[in-house]
Amino acid sequence: MIISLENFIPLPLTGISREESGFWESGGVVLESPGSYLLTAPSGKGKTSLLSMICGVRKDYRGSILIDGTDIRQYGPMDWSEIRKRKISCIYQGLELFDELTALENIQLKNGILGYKTRDEIREMAQALEMDNFLERETGKLSFGQRQRIAIIRALCQPFGFLLADEIFSHLDKKLEKLTFSLISRECAKNRSGLLLTSLHPLGKFNFDKHFIL
Amino acid sequence: MLRKILWRAYGKSHITGAVAGSLIGFILLLSITQFYFEMKHVLGTNEDLINPEFIVINKQVSVLESLELRTTGFTEAEIETIASQQFVQEVAGFISNDFALSAYTESANFPDFYTDLFFEAVPDEFLDVKSDDWKWKPGQSTIPIILPQDYLNLYNFGFAPSQGLPQISPSLIRLVNFKISIYGKGKQAEYNGKIVGFSNRINSVLVPYAFLSAANKEFGKGQAPRVSRLVIVSKNPADPEIAAFLQNNGYETIKENLKSSRLNIILKFIISFLGGLGILIIFLALLVFILSFQLIINKSADKIRKLSLLGYHYREISRPYILSLSLIISLIALVTSLAMIALKNLFVSFSGEWGMELTNGIHPVVILGGILLLVFITLVNIRAIVKQTKSFSR
Repeated sequence: MIISLENFIPLPLTGISREESGFWESGGVVLESPGSYLLTAPSGKGKTSLLSMICGVRKDYRGSILIDGTDIRQYGPMDWSEIRKRKISCIYQGLELFDELTALENIQLKNGILGYKTRDEIREMAQALEMDNFLERETGKLSFGQRQRIAIIRALCQPFGFLLADEIFSHLDKKLEKLTFSLISRECAKNRSGLLLTSLHPLGKFNFDKHFIL
Repeated sequence: MLRKILWRAYGKSHITGAVAGSLIGFILLLSITQFYFEMKHVLGTNEDLINPEFIVINKQVSVLESLELRTTGFTEAEIETIASQQFVQEVAGFISNDFALSAYTESANFPDFYTDLFFEAVPDEFLDVKSDDWKWKPGQSTIPIILPQDYLNLYNFGFAPSQGLPQISPSLIRLVNFKISIYGKGKQAEYNGKIVGFSNRINSVLVPYAFLSAANKEFGKGQAPRVSRLVIVSKNPADPEIAAFLQNNGYETIKENLKSSRLNIILKFIISFLGGLGILIIFLALLVFILSFQLIINKSADKIRKLSLLGYHYREISRPYILSLSLIISLIALVTSLAMIALKNLFVSFSGEWGMELTNGIHPVVILGGILLLVFITLVNIRAIVKQTKSFSR
């Protein structure tokens, strides 16, 4: 799967960040799967905007985003539903969990669409992130770091060609950071899929194929 | 799980109100429509044998007539005067039998019965008889007869109870065959009599015009026909001028007629008013329905957005709402059907006491109309739900 950006820039950024990094409005940023990409920038530089634009949630940009050569502006609701079910999985910074459901119910809400993971596989992923004791808890009563890990597990409960992860380490300690990255890497390798991870700081300890700095 | 997330208790009171409103509107509209068909049926079998525009008049009977110093017959000149009144469209005289006539029963299932009788007839176009039985051709041995409703009432509510005899419904009496004997000019003939209807408007025993004129020719004494009653066609029988004219000339009519035509208008007005009210209530309920669902969906806007981020299509998301709607509509359909059946039964139990005959079951127009209306409401709501859900999807 190839995601490419052509002369792309989120509209709120036009006129503010006239390019130092060469990322915005460049001839071609190409993200290919399998491949891992890190995008670091201080707050307000457009990391989150970019991810939600690739996912079709926001459309206020100039230029174009192509998925496997097709301009995503051509996609209708049915196409986006398919893409979000099978092609691109996204861990949003806002997590987008349902607070009134339990952690497990939140995961099942996603997993139930395709029945992608078994109950044991979900429990095993929760174990890996030290969340297995919290699956039956109401999501609204978990800490932000715990909810972050639920959102990560949920995002892995579908097939995908690309995983977009928006500042997912923000509330995790070093140990959990490592556990999480290895779980994500393992799932991406299984899917032979690409990974685009954003972060406020460089993540020197992990290996990426390419590092963009905004 | 979608239902658990999306269908919260928001606006429950609105939905309850909308359901109650729809129920009231539906039951009102459907029962009024059914009532309309019942009334049409009742009036059709009992009263409308003569159109409401028809008025039957005769002269008052005083001592002079009893002493045979004067007759109650209308002269040619009098008929012409009546015909020239501006409220009169057409006028025709009744003809009566010019021969002796008696009726008797020969049935084992019916008490023995014998009576001298008379017949009258008016031209068929003055009768509003829909019955196919209402015709006579030379050589036909069965004579169709229309009796005054009062005769049946006299029997059912006066004679039968006092003699310990069973009461008879109009449809039952139509099954009774009796014999008619005619004598005149030294000849005699036997016919079968068959009652085809009852009239509240004419206090007479009516037979087809063709039969009576033929029989008068064959058995009659050859006297000039005496016209003792007239039937008048008027556009507006409620016209007060008619009453004044009749009084000034010493003519009589069944006042009920003039009153009932006015009642008829009032009844029609009330039926249309209540029907209109039913439609209005249904319309308002439909509005409350749509608004309640919009409120519920609006409150779930963020949940719908999150679900669409997970890959749920807006059609999938709207499904729980449509399911709830379907349940509510089914509930309305069920309660309305039960209410209609209960009302019908109630009406049937009253109708016996009132001496009326009702239609069988619920009129197909009522059933079909109810179903179409429910389908319409469901479709409009589904459309609104899907549109709303789509607008919150990303």
